[in-house]
Amino acid sequence: MDLSLLGWGNSGWLDEFSIGMVMTFSVSIVAFIISLFFGVVFANFKLSSYRSLRIFGNVYTTVLRGIPELLVIYLFFFGGGALLRSIASALFGYDGYIDLPVFIIGALCIGLSSGAYSTEVIRGAILSVRKGQLEAAYSVGMSRRQVAIRILFPQAARYALPGLGNIWQFVLKDTSLISIVGFVEIIRVATLGAGSTKQPFLFYFIALLLFLFLAWISQRVFYRIEAWSKKGEKSLQ
Amino acid sequence: MKKIIQSLIILSFLAANFYGSAFAATVKIATEGAYAPYNFKDAAGNLVGFEVDLAKMLCEKAKLKCEIVEQPWDGIIPSLVAKKYDAIMAGMSITAERQKTISFSRSYSTEPLRFAVLKSNSLAKMDVASKYLSLPKLDSGEKKSIMEIKKAMQGKVVGVQTSTTHEAFMKKYLPEIALKSYDTMDNMLLDLEAKRIDAGFTAISSIKPAMEKNNTIMEVGPSVTGGILGQGVGVGLRKEDTDLRNKFSSAIESMMKDGSLQKLSVKWFGFDTAPRN
Repeated sequence: MDLSLLGWGNSGWLDEFSIGMVMTFSVSIVAFIISLFFGVVFANFKLSSYRSLRIFGNVYTTVLRGIPELLVIYLFFFGGGALLRSIASALFGYDGYIDLPVFIIGALCIGLSSGAYSTEVIRGAILSVRKGQLEAAYSVGMSRRQVAIRILFPQAARYALPGLGNIWQFVLKDTSLISIVGFVEIIRVATLGAGSTKQPFLFYFIALLLFLFLAWISQRVFYRIEAWSKKGEKSLQ
Repeated sequence: MKKIIQSLIILSFLAANFYGSAFAATVKIATEGAYAPYNFKDAAGNLVGFEVDLAKMLCEKAKLKCEIVEQPWDGIIPSLVAKKYDAIMAGMSITAERQKTISFSRSYSTEPLRFAVLKSNSLAKMDVASKYLSLPKLDSGEKKSIMEIKKAMQGKVVGVQTSTTHEAFMKKYLPEIALKSYDTMDNMLLDLEAKRIDAGFTAISSIKPAMEKNNTIMEVGPSVTGGILGQGVGVGLRKEDTDLRNKFSSAIESMMKDGSLQKLSVKWFGFDTAPRN
């Protein structure tokens, strides 16, 4: 095995891998924020008293949990580009090429897909908050808004944390799917390196280590946050 | 207000791409960057390889201003049709299936096939006059060579990978010779080493690595290309760009005539992959 391939700069692939890791991490963060946004919105839809909103929420979680993320990416990236080009040629008579920014589309696709799972996690967390807590809050004269912000959200967030930690790990791994449309993250760097040097084992093994490293760090961070969120609970020991 | 700013940002993204390509006079050539030695990346992140060098030389011959861009293999044809770039040079074989969507220049690289034998086998001394067999039209010398192979291989068993163009060639041009089919190239080469077959008929690109691992293996006979074996690798282009296609084809022809294509292929592959006709 030629370890000089792992050097920094122009003679090795370590700098390419580092950039890839930064890209994986940053697209994951954006996708996770989008996922949380969709999760909160659609969890509220599914718990809404309006039937139409409940149906809308159910369609979202059923469809996006049911289709592979890869298809969502193909649909948005190739389909979205084609749609945009047809609009450009119909409205402006322009028949050149218009591209969509891969980072934004990629984060949106992953966020949209995992948002369906976040919805279920957040819905479950909201339902876990004891009814008596809300009734007590209303009885002291809090408005709906106050109840939501002061009583419901802090408790639901605590219940949702472990599930959301899981979803973060999923998001982290799913970003590798964006490599197929040319987004240069860890997997794309590994593919390029493996094809260029004919040493696939070395390159995919490094990709594996980098993903494990990111997963390990995130696990530690989530443990910290969970411990912090349970500060107010009585210890059972 | 926030929404207006957001839409402005998105619009500016689109506009940048819009104008970027609208006034481009250069020919953009897409390559994959992960298929050594055809096209790959060095550790500094530069695109290199046979096709990267070839693209530069072809553009020089055809007096075109060219730019090489990287594109993952998935979606490489749809993006050509959508005009993200104007040509593909990514080790792409010319096939009837692909020709439904795009057109190709004439081929600039072929995958020559030869016989692999053990040095201890009598076939190692097989003497054939022609160095090349260029299908489908064989000249008298090449026809004579086929007869020579038939004579030398009487009573011998030749291994091929099943359902390949390699097998089709043997059945069409050398039907008298006993064949043994294998599911994979590796299994065939293992049986060759175990002397269960006398020769294997396969791509030189598969024989070379086997020779490096085991120095009792050698290649014999003419290198066979074209016709039933496939049309080789060509520049992929949009169907309507006939002018660009002709420019690429004639540049390839002229590089075949002056020998520079042969030289370039030997530099990157270690053997001559230039088409013979």
